[in-house]
Amino acid sequence: MHEEQVPGQARPVARRVVTSFLVQKAAESPAHGTLIARTEDSLYRTVLGVKETHGIEELGIAFWDAETTIQWSYNADRPFHAASTMKLAVLLGVFRQIIRGELTADAPVHVRNKFTSIVDRKPFTLELNRDSDPEVFANLGRTMSVEQLAYEMITRSSNFATNLLVDVVGVPAIQRALDELRIDGVQVLRGVEDQPAFEAGLNNQVTANGLLRLLRLLAEGEAWSAEASQRMREILLEQRFKSGIPAGLPKDARVAHKTGNISTVHHDAGIVYLEGRKPYVLVILTQFPMQAGDASAVAEVSRDIYESLVGAMA
Amino acid sequence: MSDKPDGAIGLKVVDAFDLEPELRALLRPNEMAMGKAGHQHRLPRYFYEVPSHERAKEVRLTPHLGLNEFLLVDLKEAPLIRNYPRYIPCAVRLLAFYLERLRELVGQPIHLAVNGGYRSPVHKLAVGITPHMWGTAADLFRIGPTLLNAKDAIEKYNRIAEDLSDDLWVMPYGHDIGSADDHIHVDLGYISLVPREMTEDRAEVSQAGPRFAIEERRRGDRRTFPQPPPTPEPPGPPLA
Repeated sequence: MHEEQVPGQARPVARRVVTSFLVQKAAESPAHGTLIARTEDSLYRTVLGVKETHGIEELGIAFWDAETTIQWSYNADRPFHAASTMKLAVLLGVFRQIIRGELTADAPVHVRNKFTSIVDRKPFTLELNRDSDPEVFANLGRTMSVEQLAYEMITRSSNFATNLLVDVVGVPAIQRALDELRIDGVQVLRGVEDQPAFEAGLNNQVTANGLLRLLRLLAEGEAWSAEASQRMREILLEQRFKSGIPAGLPKDARVAHKTGNISTVHHDAGIVYLEGRKPYVLVILTQFPMQAGDASAVAEVSRDIYESLVGAMA
Repeated sequence: MSDKPDGAIGLKVVDAFDLEPELRALLRPNEMAMGKAGHQHRLPRYFYEVPSHERAKEVRLTPHLGLNEFLLVDLKEAPLIRNYPRYIPCAVRLLAFYLERLRELVGQPIHLAVNGGYRSPVHKLAVGITPHMWGTAADLFRIGPTLLNAKDAIEKYNRIAEDLSDDLWVMPYGHDIGSADDHIHVDLGYISLVPREMTEDRAEVSQAGPRFAIEERRRGDRRTFPQPPPTPEPPGPPLA
């Protein structure tokens, strides 16, 4: 176990979980156990290097590999501003309501740019952008189905679709979905672009471990049902923003993931499918000093973890 | 129920008291409903029956307005109301007439918003009652290419609508309840239309059972209303 001393803050913790797989492998071959330990050392040093090189203020990482059952984390219980990774929780909340029969995937939703702040209950509108959000923008004043909105919320990270779905499902139902699945570390208070709430410090938060738990449930088909989990994974696989985790992987890798980017944070959280092996789940959360964000750090960490895992299995 | 379709638009006219109990309970035909300032209004009783979405698109209420535009709702409307056959108060034809005049005046297509035509009494946007429940109100979110989400545009078209007829009421621009900032609202008030072929002389009560749950509940309330204790009878004259 390694620890990093940060003055004035709780020390981030890098932690490995020695699993039955590793115990078995180490028993079969002590050299293999040594290799795993060396891999973890190497990974830890690399992560610290990336942190320093990119000027990352805070870094949180968690991964779990279904193939080796290795679980490793760094600073994984520290809360970060969720940015758009909160849309994973909204997706979960939507499917909860569908599974419970309180909502249907084809139910029509009025595409209306009018939302209510959680702070003063005053209405606010989103700054709409036809280029970044073409599908939802094109349907302004009409309806889109719940499933179409969920697709746009994830694949194009549509804030408009997200706020519409948060209105449909309700924040309490989203939080209940997280509670029922025992996902700690993900807290949803509101939709997006609620400026009065942001100024009041009322933000959605995630930890790397929280998102890891959420994605692991999806990967293992345990989020409500195997069918619901599969449908959510299918939507996540259609993600259009690929500069995070996918950028650090071979071209044939498929990633069911959700990014989260605002000026000071760059996150990515996803399930990585590689040919010939079981998937691994990876969450990378980064926070930068004001306006100094650098999304390439996420790709670099993703590459390092991929190479470490491949190395460990070689 | 009238077997003859309404001659003008070819849809069957329905007395909502003849509908299935579940639907009747949602539409609450002829029931008094409380409006703003304590005013009470009787909810509509006569509806057009719209058998399918295709039929709703075919039926033209005016040269430029299809019936389907008045039926646009989202999941804020009860699922049973969203299912076909659907029902819309007959007074919607009056609204369409005025909207067609408005369209002539502005010289451009007018677009009703989703949830901007007929809303049932159980629609989740309802804050108290609204003429939308009578089919006599419309929310327009776009006129020609202009999205009605700015003060200037809303006030401009509000003035045009007001000048069109004293029968039309428009909602002022604003952000609070009772005002609008992303559409213009026009309505004719609480008008119930009785189609020529319908008769109002028969009892409203369904012969098969209670009219709807709320009436039954009221009757139950009356039955169980606490009664004052019986007054003891005054003693009679002493027997001789």
